[in-house]
Amino acid sequence: MLLLYALHRLLGPRGRRWLIALVTFVAGLFYGLEYFYPAKGNPSANFLTKWIEPVSIMLAVIGFFLVGLGVYSLCHVHGRNVAKRRPGWHNSLAFFVSMIAMLVFALWEHYLHLREPTPAVVPWPKGVYEVLFNGLFAPLQAATFSLLAFYIASAAYRAFRIRSAEAALMMGAAFIVMLGQVPVGMWLTSGIPASGPAAFFRLEKLGEWVMNWLNTPAQRGITFGIAVGALAMSLRVWLSLERGTFFSEQA
Amino acid sequence: MEQRPPSDLWERLQQVPRHYIYLLLSGVIVWQLLAPIRLPILPSPPTRGVYDAIRAVPAGKLIVISTDWDASTQAETGPQTRAVLEACFQAGKPFALMNLASPMGAKLGNDIAVEVGKEYHAEYGMVWCNWGYKAGFTNVLLAMARNIPKTMGQDFYGKPVAALHMMQKVRTIRDVGLVIEITGLANMTEAWVGLIQGPYRIPFAAAYTAVMAPGYYQFLDSGQLEGMLVGAKGAAEMESLVNRPGAGTAIMSAQSWAHVLIIALIIFGNLGFVLTRAREKGRER
Amino acid sequence: MNPEIYVLWAAVIATLAVYSILYRENPVSRLFEHVFVGLSAGYMLAITWTQNLEGRWWNPMVHQRLWYWIFAPVVGALFYLIYSRRLVWLARLVMGLFFGTAAGTFFREFFPLYSPQLYRSFKPLVASRSVGWGEVILHNWIFVVILFTVMSYFFFSIPHEGRAGRVLARTSLVGRWFLMIAFGAMFGNTVMARLSLFIGRLQYLLYDWIGRYVPWVLHRGM
Repeated sequence: MLLLYALHRLLGPRGRRWLIALVTFVAGLFYGLEYFYPAKGNPSANFLTKWIEPVSIMLAVIGFFLVGLGVYSLCHVHGRNVAKRRPGWHNSLAFFVSMIAMLVFALWEHYLHLREPTPAVVPWPKGVYEVLFNGLFAPLQAATFSLLAFYIASAAYRAFRIRSAEAALMMGAAFIVMLGQVPVGMWLTSGIPASGPAAFFRLEKLGEWVMNWLNTPAQRGITFGIAVGALAMSLRVWLSLERGTFFSEQA
Repeated sequence: MEQRPPSDLWERLQQVPRHYIYLLLSGVIVWQLLAPIRLPILPSPPTRGVYDAIRAVPAGKLIVISTDWDASTQAETGPQTRAVLEACFQAGKPFALMNLASPMGAKLGNDIAVEVGKEYHAEYGMVWCNWGYKAGFTNVLLAMARNIPKTMGQDFYGKPVAALHMMQKVRTIRDVGLVIEITGLANMTEAWVGLIQGPYRIPFAAAYTAVMAPGYYQFLDSGQLEGMLVGAKGAAEMESLVNRPGAGTAIMSAQSWAHVLIIALIIFGNLGFVLTRAREKGRER
Repeated sequence: MNPEIYVLWAAVIATLAVYSILYRENPVSRLFEHVFVGLSAGYMLAITWTQNLEGRWWNPMVHQRLWYWIFAPVVGALFYLIYSRRLVWLARLVMGLFFGTAAGTFFREFFPLYSPQLYRSFKPLVASRSVGWGEVILHNWIFVVILFTVMSYFFFSIPHEGRAGRVLARTSLVGRWFLMIAFGAMFGNTVMARLSLFIGRLQYLLYDWIGRYVPWVLHRGM
């Protein structure tokens, strides 16, 4: 704490920028150097290898404390809604009630130290926790994401228009893959012999061929592009050449 | 901009309220769930790769199953997890569940393992365990390569991982015979392959949601993935391999006809669009 | 307490509340959206303690007396200084640490991740004892052509002018066709995934809920 205070008092904006860049560089150098520095022995190791485990665990533990940042932000927004009685404030109140209920009962269930196999009749805190998790939390998330099926069906009829040859190509591939993945597609072409050259035209084989030999090289081409871009971006972040991400505007 | 009233049947069909489409979709799926037309499911080579990889794990080695999914993908990843666990229990291979992202997956995966484990009379801590949700992602992978018990700390139930009977001989990643990643999240595989499968040559298999699977066929081609389950179809294929038809198989019959409906909607919608446009061009001339 | 029946009815009410939004936006669905966010926040806090902090920070610090772990929350707390205009640079200091770590980790991942991909992209283009001409042409030639044309599509720094540029323009056009095929495959898989999610929910409503009271429905699914 004293060190941080001293740094805050002693360093000006330029010095702070240099310190941040130095910390970023050393952090990246440690992991990169440990990988690239020649290693000896069995298992192979260099002078940095023994530090990988403690440093990684330490960074992971520091990262745990980040969870409060998102929760604080949510509480701040919903707290203001409740305090100022804005329209829909009862929804924000429901947010707080559900958050506290889940926190309390999840911790309570943990400290019951129930061991497997748990009986059908359980202590009531565990029962409440199950209602909150399997009765509300999981179904709400599952149902929210399942709405996408409706939007896809609606878009399929009202929005997907084949206006060009390329769009036709895309839809053709989509039809083959969609039918090739399901039993009805296999049934449609079940009359074609399963072995021999003609088997290629069975929908499941055609679908597999599209995925393995048309889709794969295209995805790999995209991946190579992304890989080079990500490498360049990582280098820029490591060397603090990137502005505007976590550096101040004044820098 | 005011829409002029539809002049014929095709134009009227172009403007069908979306609620009718929702009802049609629901009706087709409910029909198939109540009166399923069961068609055979043939395991594909990627699914067979996962099954064979599980059976090929050497004696004395552990399978690590990372359940990095949550309720949003539960319809696909839930049956995939169940089918993979069935395969592990049937093959007699000890496994450890873990979770690097999506904390819900730790409990959802655990609930499935408890249920399936009861059918095989598998005792927790002897044949299977759950290391729980471990935040830190790549830091966890880097640390667990060197020291698994210390990295994991406590298991899902709060007991020290090092104290579990099956973990007595498990120390580093070299004691792991196979890693299976079950996920709906991007970038998980890249970290596992880049930090564990590649450097330590640990066999790696995966189960993905259908959305993300096309991007990972290239890993099958390069040999970095031993096998891959693709969505509910992969789960159904795995269920057929382990001879335990379940939710994955049940989904496929409804899925088949839902796909037919979507294709019909696209064709029908475009037919109406083309005819309407041709008519408008004719009117302009 | 046997929570099974309460879990079932809570799940059904929550699911139907969310689906009510398909008709129109309404107060019930909005309430349950907020409940979902609250449950998510509470669960995240609880599991961070029970699965991570307790076992990997608190127990070593308090029970094993490794008192240096007290510095972890001090450093972690620096993240929260992002809300302070004067001390925000300390938050950036910790963020820099993690960004540097991420960059270093990516350097480690790069070769094990991408070199097998590069290696296996060099497919044999002539037949051999094990691979016939049919397979070589249908698989390997197509693979290599697609890979190169797709990669050429992303060469934005070379203008499509002049002789070389015109060749690049043609290969990039072909690459775009193959990209559309790949996107079509992705779309097909996306449809499959989205429909699976809804089918999963309907299975729950039909078999677990209605099937509990109307056995005929449950038996249809078996």
